[in-house]
Amino acid sequence: MTLFDVVFSGNDAVYGLTEGAINDAIAKYGEDKAIAFPDTAYSLPCYYGVTGTKVATLGELKNALGVVKTLMTREKRLNDAFMSGIATALCAEFIEVLKYMDGAVPYEAPCYGHLGDAVIRELGVPLVTGDIPGVAVILGSAPTAQEGVDLVKSYQAQGILVTLVGGIIDQCEELGYKTGANVRVIPLGKDVTSVIHVVSVAVRAALIFGNIKPGDAAGLMKYTMERVPAFVNAFAPLNDVIVACGAGAIALGFPVITNEETFRVPKSLIVQKDVSKFNATSLEARDIKIKITHIDIPVAFASAFEGEIIRRGDMQVEFDGSRVDCCELVHAKDASEIEDHKIELIGPDVDEMPVGSKQSIAYVVEVAGKNMQADFEPVFERKFHSYLNCIEGIMHTGQRDMIRIRISKDAYAAGFRAKHIGEVLYAKVKSEFAAVVDKCQVKIYTDPAECTRIRHEVAMPMFDKRDERLMTLTDEGVDVYYSCIMCQAFSPSHVCVVTPERLGLCGAVSWLDAKATHQLDPEGPCQVITKEKVIDERIGEYEDVNDAVRKFSQGALEDVSLYSIIEKPMTSCGCFECICGIEPLSNGVCIANREYAGMTPIGMTFPELASMTGGGVQTPGFMGHGKHFIASKKFMKAEGGVARIVWMPKDLKEQVADRLNATAKELYGIDNFVDMIGDETIAEDPETLLAFLEEKGHPALTMEPMM
Amino acid sequence: MGNFKLTSVEEFEAATARLLETGKKVGADAWQYRVANQTPHCKFGEQGVCCRICSMGPCRITPKAPRGICGCDVHGIVARNYLKFTAGGAATHSDHGREICHTLYCAKPEGPYKVKDPEKLLRIAKEWGVETEGKDIYDLAHEVALLGLGEYGKVFGNQNFIKRAPEHTQELWQREEIAPRAIDREVASSLHMTHMGCSSKPEALIRQSLRAGLADGWGGSMAGTEFSDVLFGTPKPIETEANLGVMEKDNVNIVVHGHDPSLSEMICEYADDPEMIAYAKSKGAKGITVSGVCCTSNEVAMRRGIPMAGNFLQQENVVLTGACEAIVVDVQCIFPALGPLSKCFHTKFVTTSPIAQMPDSEYIRFNAETADENAKAIVKMAIDNFVNRKPELVYIPDMKQKATVGYSVEAIVKTLDGVTNSQVDETGTTKPLIECITSGVIRGAVAMVGCNNPRVRPDLAHIELMKKLIANDIIIVASGCSAQAAAKAGLMDKEARELCGAGLKRVCELADIPPVLHMGSCVDISRMMVLVAELSKDSGLNISQLPVVGCAPEWMSEKAVSIGNYVVATGLDTFLGVDPYVSGSSEVAELLTGGIRDWVEAAYTVEKDIDKLGDAMIERIEEKRAALGI
Repeated sequence: MTLFDVVFSGNDAVYGLTEGAINDAIAKYGEDKAIAFPDTAYSLPCYYGVTGTKVATLGELKNALGVVKTLMTREKRLNDAFMSGIATALCAEFIEVLKYMDGAVPYEAPCYGHLGDAVIRELGVPLVTGDIPGVAVILGSAPTAQEGVDLVKSYQAQGILVTLVGGIIDQCEELGYKTGANVRVIPLGKDVTSVIHVVSVAVRAALIFGNIKPGDAAGLMKYTMERVPAFVNAFAPLNDVIVACGAGAIALGFPVITNEETFRVPKSLIVQKDVSKFNATSLEARDIKIKITHIDIPVAFASAFEGEIIRRGDMQVEFDGSRVDCCELVHAKDASEIEDHKIELIGPDVDEMPVGSKQSIAYVVEVAGKNMQADFEPVFERKFHSYLNCIEGIMHTGQRDMIRIRISKDAYAAGFRAKHIGEVLYAKVKSEFAAVVDKCQVKIYTDPAECTRIRHEVAMPMFDKRDERLMTLTDEGVDVYYSCIMCQAFSPSHVCVVTPERLGLCGAVSWLDAKATHQLDPEGPCQVITKEKVIDERIGEYEDVNDAVRKFSQGALEDVSLYSIIEKPMTSCGCFECICGIEPLSNGVCIANREYAGMTPIGMTFPELASMTGGGVQTPGFMGHGKHFIASKKFMKAEGGVARIVWMPKDLKEQVADRLNATAKELYGIDNFVDMIGDETIAEDPETLLAFLEEKGHPALTMEPMM
Repeated sequence: MGNFKLTSVEEFEAATARLLETGKKVGADAWQYRVANQTPHCKFGEQGVCCRICSMGPCRITPKAPRGICGCDVHGIVARNYLKFTAGGAATHSDHGREICHTLYCAKPEGPYKVKDPEKLLRIAKEWGVETEGKDIYDLAHEVALLGLGEYGKVFGNQNFIKRAPEHTQELWQREEIAPRAIDREVASSLHMTHMGCSSKPEALIRQSLRAGLADGWGGSMAGTEFSDVLFGTPKPIETEANLGVMEKDNVNIVVHGHDPSLSEMICEYADDPEMIAYAKSKGAKGITVSGVCCTSNEVAMRRGIPMAGNFLQQENVVLTGACEAIVVDVQCIFPALGPLSKCFHTKFVTTSPIAQMPDSEYIRFNAETADENAKAIVKMAIDNFVNRKPELVYIPDMKQKATVGYSVEAIVKTLDGVTNSQVDETGTTKPLIECITSGVIRGAVAMVGCNNPRVRPDLAHIELMKKLIANDIIIVASGCSAQAAAKAGLMDKEARELCGAGLKRVCELADIPPVLHMGSCVDISRMMVLVAELSKDSGLNISQLPVVGCAPEWMSEKAVSIGNYVVATGLDTFLGVDPYVSGSSEVAELLTGGIRDWVEAAYTVEKDIDKLGDAMIERIEEKRAALGI
């Protein structure tokens, strides 16, 4: 039999029963006998909602059945199956109302049967606000009572309103599971027709809250589909009548999830053999997202802690990406590869780490979502800084593979452990990016070998790939730039202007990231900056950019250039990957990266340079920037470009060599430019450096004086 | 919602009538007049019974003269003409594919042609057994391009792409000896067979027609599609607009027309260039609008959202607006009439391909190595021409519809992933669509393709059939000028779901798609072949068992016959609204509408009454469902 044939057959069966029941009742009481559900102004609610006609007597009920018959067309089209489903539901309503004849009380505890209007008004607000995120209709008997109760419990824990029909009610009683409207588990009745009492709630919700006009069947179905987050869990075995009722549910937009092998219809009729997965399957089918309001960690979580500094002496343990392999990463995956809210620790926990020690950590947040784009990965990643800093007793700096995290002794004493990092990341990513993230799991690696593997084999290639995408974009090729003020928690007057060839100085926010951030959160930290009014093309100064910088720095900054470190250089927050500073003797600049602990020919170490350059103030001659910017054609363009670079730490040189050589070749026709640049193995003082540069014939020596 | 309304064919015609008035003022000719001049058509030609393959003739078969001078009967002549027609189409599509392979061979990291979809390239390379590990993507592109070019003249074996077909289909092709060999060989063999004194047995000629068709669909066209994706990006859903109203009165209007995206991609690139836009402004225009006609339009709409000015029989209309600075053409389906017509206006008619050279055109020879310079010169020429516009002749009908286009197979699968449930379903398959079909929510699918033809009231058959089918819960995939007819009418607006039966409407809502899916240009019918192959593999059913049929209600070109042959030979019943010049032979007609079913499990239906054609398709789909018990 085809699916539609099953629906038609079930519909015919119920119709036959209804017709018999009405005829019997008329024979007994006469056509004028009044019929009504108690405590409702909409009797019979479903029939009234669909047709706009109220039914008050047995005679009218018989007429109504005639109308129902007209819905029961038998073309092989879904419309016919839908209408037959609706007809089945209406028949169920007729059978149910007959039970209430003569003031009868057909339902006894724990069953509720018909629910009065007051119940709907009570449920209305929490349904609208999402406090009740969904309505489950569970029908039939679970394979075992325990599985049934577990399912009910799982919904209840999520705040979902549960209604029960048939054997599941007995299963709850059997295990002594408490039911009742007060705990949002409502047994309706044991006959399948009693399912109409929850449909009746949905229909009346449409009339009461949706302002749907009775009789506007199409409007009603649209309302229930778009606004009533209900779904059906129907246990095997399914008979024709249940399938016909299911067609009615699907017509109203409520997906049916069953463990019986039957036809499948995407998002509508879903076969899930594993009852323990009914919950997750149903929520996904109905696009219900459970709000996370509580993060399960033993310390406080609030933005009040975002600027908290943890001194060396107060720290239990430190993870330091500048010394050992660390990284943080968001990775978009297929939904099937992810178990939502799985937090996994691979390696020792904090307990096993000596107090005050430096350790490796790599945490990978894997997400899946129908609207997820790879472009969003770095955007989420960049927010980790803020998320982790909001934890009381945790300090986080840096990004990508240059992170540093300190856990305070107090936080440790309160019970904070590695997995709690996962809990925070999970909760925040799920709640803040609910628009695109459907599922999320976190893997936390503390095993040093694994951290090395993740950093070098997983994270670095991904970072490189993201950077490569940027390579194809140029400042001239785009119409807008973006501001970035993610760091204003630390550096309130700093504004990054992010362009395709000049990523944020933290090295983590590229133009694409900023664009994605803006798309995800149009009011958020990244705003569009137009670039229509050029002031000075040479140094990259624009009226629009200055206006934006003024606005976003709350007036602290007046004007900035994009391509100069001497004239109105861009400010630095404190998150920069590198600093470059003028080395007057050689007429060039030295660059130091955060990982470099030694001395530079400028006579200052990285921390000393950082203290001069950070804090959102303009320091002509010094500038913070990302590693990637070093090989940009826009690097110090106003001062002559990368040819000014005279010194870099050896490690950094190696990291940027290929791209920097390519840029120098393109701009000046110089081969192997990097070999002309000094490093700590060659010189840590200006004189030795100069001798080296002269020997190599470094181009900076013959360029115009910088100052 | 609320404001959505289809544009009717009557409205199209009223707009055309208004444009023809402009034409009259300047003494322009139009196809409408030429059709009148050519009517009635030659009956011998229409029936396919005229033979002029040697100089003893021409011979025309009549009851009194039942055989040609050589003794060939009417069946041999009709079948021979049919095969020649097919060979013309297969050669055309396939040569387009070859050009794309060549463009891929010329791709360089610094452009002008780059590899925009390296993942697809890797996929194809692996499919063809090319080692990809550690190779530079451009080296790989050149290697694969060479292999692709090799498919045209390969010495032994069959087309590489046929391995994409389900096992059963491949077995049928081998059994019937129609598995396509080298593309050029199938074309040449066809012409050999139709030479004087070769084949005159209808069975043999029709068999070769199917084989030549398959060399197109699973060879040349597929190469055209696949490597265009590698070069220009695999289409994904994108918003655009369709009909003449997309031309902007205050802008420089450049219309691209033809089939090969290599040219139009570059034109779009340069029309977007700030320098060019500034130049246009300096000439008094507000900007530059590129729009398209015919399949070039489909190509750039699918990948860039470039609006579609119209389909085949609307090509003269774009010039008649008086607002077209340049109509830039590549190959195929270009009216030679555009030359004289452009002379009535300020319009530059720019031909670019050695394949399609026409009188009264500016010929700017386009080639892959200098594409950027060529494109720039063309855009600049159009801008320079803006000042020559005659304002009194400008009339752009205010008529356009929104459309969501870009449904490559990859995009369709991605869309289907969106309705899966990760707890139970796998992604990356066509299974959700199969479930919709087996449950009856969707009754089946129709691949609507083909041209316009004055024999049929233009666009009416496409649009009316689509309306009928979607109201019956049958989803449409469309390409070529059929797709543009749908877009012009509004059937590719997602709001068009309101015109569907409850089943298709629900599917459109859940998957967020329009009921008519734009799969691309006419070479992209190869995408439809890949799609049915996937449906077959994912469902375990043979292609011929699927409730899916093909339909070309307004077809006109040789390419269309080649397409029809490969669609049928792939196992899909195909419904035509125009007879392919075979009515003169009962044997050939019987073969095509029945006999070939024994070979490939599918056949043609020809029905000129559009309403009946629609009913016949619905009936066939329901028969296939009944046979499966679904």
